[in-house]
Amino acid sequence: MTAPLLEIRDVSKSFEGLRALSHVSFDVPHDKIVSVIGPNGAGKTTLFNLITGALAPSTGDILFEGRSIRGLKPNQTAQLGIGRTFQIVRPFPGLTTLDNVAVAALVKERTRGQARKRAEEILELTRLSTFARLEARSLTLAWRKRLEVARAVALRPRLILLDEVMAGLTPAEVEDTVELVKRLRSIGIAAVAGIEHVMQAVRKISDLVVVLDFGQKLFAGAPEEVMRNPEVIRAYLGTKYAPRS
Amino acid sequence: MKRLEVVVAGASALFIAAIPFAGSDYLVGFVFTTFLFVGMAYGWNLISGYTGYLSFGQISFFGVGAYATAILVAKLSWPWPPAVLAGMGVAAALAVPLGWAMLRLRGPYFALGMLGSVQVLQTLASAWSGLTGGGEGIYLPPAGSLRDLYFASAVLVVAGLGATSLIDRSAFGLRLRAIGEDEIAAEAMGIDTTRAKLLAFVLASTFPAVAGGLYAFRLSYVDPASAFPAAYEVQVILMAIFGGAGTVFGPLAGGILLAGLGEALWARFAELHLLLFGLIIVVVLRYMPEGLIALLRRRAA
Repeated sequence: MTAPLLEIRDVSKSFEGLRALSHVSFDVPHDKIVSVIGPNGAGKTTLFNLITGALAPSTGDILFEGRSIRGLKPNQTAQLGIGRTFQIVRPFPGLTTLDNVAVAALVKERTRGQARKRAEEILELTRLSTFARLEARSLTLAWRKRLEVARAVALRPRLILLDEVMAGLTPAEVEDTVELVKRLRSIGIAAVAGIEHVMQAVRKISDLVVVLDFGQKLFAGAPEEVMRNPEVIRAYLGTKYAPRS
Repeated sequence: MKRLEVVVAGASALFIAAIPFAGSDYLVGFVFTTFLFVGMAYGWNLISGYTGYLSFGQISFFGVGAYATAILVAKLSWPWPPAVLAGMGVAAALAVPLGWAMLRLRGPYFALGMLGSVQVLQTLASAWSGLTGGGEGIYLPPAGSLRDLYFASAVLVVAGLGATSLIDRSAFGLRLRAIGEDEIAAEAMGIDTTRAKLLAFVLASTFPAVAGGLYAFRLSYVDPASAFPAAYEVQVILMAIFGGAGTVFGPLAGGILLAGLGEALWARFAELHLLLFGLIIVVVLRYMPEGLIALLRRRAA
């Protein structure tokens, strides 16, 4: 049996006494999509920042491909093969769509020319080619979110962290993004998707769902189980809606 | 290069080479000073134009270059060309720890930190009289004619243009631009931002260092006031922004135009020239904040 791609082991994070995450553990297997769901403030973004190294865990450990990545900086985890998107999108506004992706491709390509060539392929894969020469600032929110995914793919990652990649999109755009994430899985890129509200998408993309609430892991399981779990319903909708046990 | 570019470059080179043989000392001196400014604008552009780390303290390296060169020539009797090059090395060596400390600061804190470094170095130059001659400064023996200095300043401009054009097209340049756009996103894309910024900072320090060394010879002495001229800092930044920060030709275009404009205003309106100069800059920056080169590019597109 091979080790899981990513192992979150008993990770806690406090900010000046405030517990943002408390003893969270779960695994992300190779080539699977794990959705981390939970209300606003549950700790999803904090978890992503711990995985990428933007923040250091207070206690606990995180293993990627069997090795601890504690203490690595965001550029190092990116080089190792962990890509990310940001909840509040931050493409490089003044660079063209192509150069946005080429910047990330430089992690694996030696020259700018090679990086641009690779970026063109990725724009093709993510259906962004039409916008290649446009500055990223001129794209709509949905396209900027897609550009962030494309940029992460250019790192040639094994894992992508998608922070609210569905939020604020129209149903049709959500559908497109679901297709895109599945396509990534099919080419060997696992994903952790932080999703607050878009339950339709959770059901469609997730191999596994982890529920966070107030920084604690409430539940982990297959998508259908999660939707039926009384504690999860209580966390989302309040006690009134949860079936009595 | 395209044929037109070759023709333009060749004609410019001939013109520049002819000036010291055909022009008056006044003209040669003016072009020399302009070239120093253009060279410094190229230096500033490498760190501030590309990465967006606005520095108000590049004149630190001008002073370090001036002093290092002067000390080597006056006290150790070095010939001037290696002394100027050594001044560049001293500035770069200083830029490593200074950049390491300063580049942790962002936005206005970096700008002010760099401004502070000028004060520190200037005070040090006054206080360390054993090395620097204190307030009296160091007098330089006449070394090299104005013509020699002029050609050295032209080399500085060519080096600035050449290095910038190489970097602008390279992977390194793309990384610097990404840092300038969004440093956190750049880190998430695997860029070692500390390393890239430090490299840009060290490269940027070498240009004012050479300018400072050449300037010391032109003045034939160095003292704390002349080695750290705050007004030059402002002019250099204005030139780079006026021409277009983060572009290959911006510092050259901005430097030549502003120096020419300043000189023309001074000649015609001796009393009012600074006022008019300031007004023109305000109006121009108001209507083309991205600089001349961006404007020309947009016209062409």
